[in-house]
Amino acid sequence: MHIHLHSFIIHYARFIGSTRFLGTLLLMLVFSLFQLAGARPASAMLTAKANHDHITIDFFYHGSTVSVRGESDPNVDLVIKITSPEGHQVLKQRGKVGGMLWMNVGQLKFENTPNFYEIFSTKKIDDILSREEMEKYTIGYTALQKHVDVTPVANEEEKTKWFTEFVRFKEDSKVYATSFGKIETTMNKDGRQDYYILTDWPYQAQPGDYLVSVYAVKNGKVVEQAETKVNVEQVGMVKTLATMAKNNAAFYGILSIGVALGAGFGVSLVFRKGGGAH
Amino acid sequence: MYLYLPVALTSINILVPVGLGLAVGLLSGLFGVGGGFLMTPLLIMFGIPSTVAAATDSNQIVAASTSGTYAHWKVGNVDFKMGLYLLAGGFLGGIVGVQGIKLLHAMGNADFVIKMTYVLMLGIVGVYMFIESLQSMKKKKNTVVEEAKEEKESAMGRFLKSLPLQTRFEKSGITHSIFVPIVLGGFVGILAAIMGVGGGFLMVPIMVYMLRMPMHVVVGTSLFQILFTCIEVTFLQAYTNHSVDFILAVLLLLGSTVGAQVGAVFGRKLKADQLKILLAGIVLAVTVKIIFELTLTPSLLLSQAGGH
Repeated sequence: MHIHLHSFIIHYARFIGSTRFLGTLLLMLVFSLFQLAGARPASAMLTAKANHDHITIDFFYHGSTVSVRGESDPNVDLVIKITSPEGHQVLKQRGKVGGMLWMNVGQLKFENTPNFYEIFSTKKIDDILSREEMEKYTIGYTALQKHVDVTPVANEEEKTKWFTEFVRFKEDSKVYATSFGKIETTMNKDGRQDYYILTDWPYQAQPGDYLVSVYAVKNGKVVEQAETKVNVEQVGMVKTLATMAKNNAAFYGILSIGVALGAGFGVSLVFRKGGGAH
Repeated sequence: MYLYLPVALTSINILVPVGLGLAVGLLSGLFGVGGGFLMTPLLIMFGIPSTVAAATDSNQIVAASTSGTYAHWKVGNVDFKMGLYLLAGGFLGGIVGVQGIKLLHAMGNADFVIKMTYVLMLGIVGVYMFIESLQSMKKKKNTVVEEAKEEKESAMGRFLKSLPLQTRFEKSGITHSIFVPIVLGGFVGILAAIMGVGGGFLMVPIMVYMLRMPMHVVVGTSLFQILFTCIEVTFLQAYTNHSVDFILAVLLLLGSTVGAQVGAVFGRKLKADQLKILLAGIVLAVTVKIIFELTLTPSLLLSQAGGH
C-alpha cells in the first residue's frame, strides 16, 4: 500500500510537472503572438518604396534624384536614413608644424563608417528621438560618432574634433547630409499617413548599393521600420573604361599614351596645314 | 555641358578642363614647362581626387609636349642630342629620388621636407631668373643677344671644360662633357621625384644658366625631354595606381595641344629675356600661393589620402 501510494505521488508529481511545462509553453506562445500583434504591428503597416531605385551612370550623368514614398500610421514622425555599406576610410590629416606652417602631419583611419550618409526627418531628430534610440539605429552624427572608430586619437575630445572634421569633409563632398522638414506627409482616405520625399542624388556618390531605412517614431522611440534599396551602377563606355583601368591596366596605360601622342601629332599637322594656308 | 569621369568618379563641366588645358598648354609652348605645378592644384580645386589629378595631368602633358616639341622642332629649336643625355640623367635621378622618398617616409615628416624643398626650389629659381633677366634686359636694351654667346670665363666654366668626354651640341652651339647634362638631368630627376612634379621649372633654368643653351632651344629641348618623362609616368600611374582618367585627359589635351602650338608661335615673337622674366613671374606667383597655403588656416583639415 505504502509502495502504491509512493508511486501514485510520483506519477501525480510528473503529471503536474508536465502540465506546468505545457502551460508555460502555451503562455510563451500566447505572449509571443501578442508581441507580434501588439509591439510590431509595424511590419505590415509602414511601407517604403524608392522610386528611380536604379541609377545608371553614363557619360552625361550629373547626379540624379531619388524619391521615397510609403504609408505609415497617422501621428508618427518619420526618419529616413540612406547609407552605403560600412567600411574603413583613410584620410590625410592637416596640422600645424612648428606652430606656423599647415601641412599633412599624418593619416587618420575611420572604421565602421559609411561613405554615404543622409538623414531626413519630419522634425529635428533631437526633438523626436531619445539618445538611446538614436544610438541603437545609428541616426544622426552624434550616434554615428559613437559607432565609428577613429585611430589614432588620444582621447574622446580628440575623437570628437576629428569626427567633426570628417563630417565637414564629407558634407563638402556632398555625400553626408542631415535635414528636417523635407518629408511631405498627407492623410489618405483610409485615415493613414502618406509620406513622400524627393531628394537630389549627388554625382559624387559612388557606384554601389545603398540602403534606405525608414523609421516611424513615436514618444521618442522607433516603433516601426521599413527598408528599400537604391542601386547606382556605371553603364556603357563609362563602365568599360572604369573596368579596363582596373583589370587591364597595362593596355589602358598604353591606350592613354597612344591617344595623347596621336592627338599631339594630329593637332600639329592641322596647325602646319593651317599655317601653310595663311 | 557636363561629362562623367569614369576613374575620377565625378562629373565636370567640359569647359573647365578644356579651358585649363588651353591656358597651361600655352605656358608649355611658351616656356617649355609641363605646367604640372599649375594644373594639378587647379584640377584638385575643381573636385578631382589628388591622385587622379596628378596622373591624368602627366597623360595630357604627353599630348601637349608632343604638340609643342613638334612646333619647336619645325623651326629647328630642339636639341635632340642634349635632350637624350638629360633624359638618361633624369631617368637615373628618378630611381634615386623614389628611394629618397621611401627613406623620407620611413624617417617621418616626409611632407615637411617635400613642401620645404618645393618652396625653396621655386623661390630660388623664381628670384634668380627674375633678377638675372631684369639686369640683362637693362644691360642690352637694344640688342638681341642670345645668352649662350655671352661666355664668361668663370671657375665653374673652366672646371666644366676640364671634364673628359667633351662633345659638341650643334643645335645649341655649345660644347660640354657628356657628364654635365647627365649629372644635371639626374639632379632634376631626384628633386622631381621627391616633389612629385615633372621638374620643367627646374630644367629650364638649368639649361639656360648652367648649360648656357639659347633660350629658344631650351624651350623645345625641355618639351622633348618632358614628353618622354611623362610617357613613363603615365604608364606607371595607370599600371600601378589605376589613377589615369582617360576622359579627363582627352578633355584637357583638346585644349593643351592647341595651347602649346599657339604658345610656340607666340614665343618666337618674344625675346629670350622677356620669356625668362615671364616664367620667373609665374614661378614666383606659384611660390607665393604655396606660402599662403602653408600659413593660412585651411578650410578643411582632412583630405583624400593617396599619392604622397
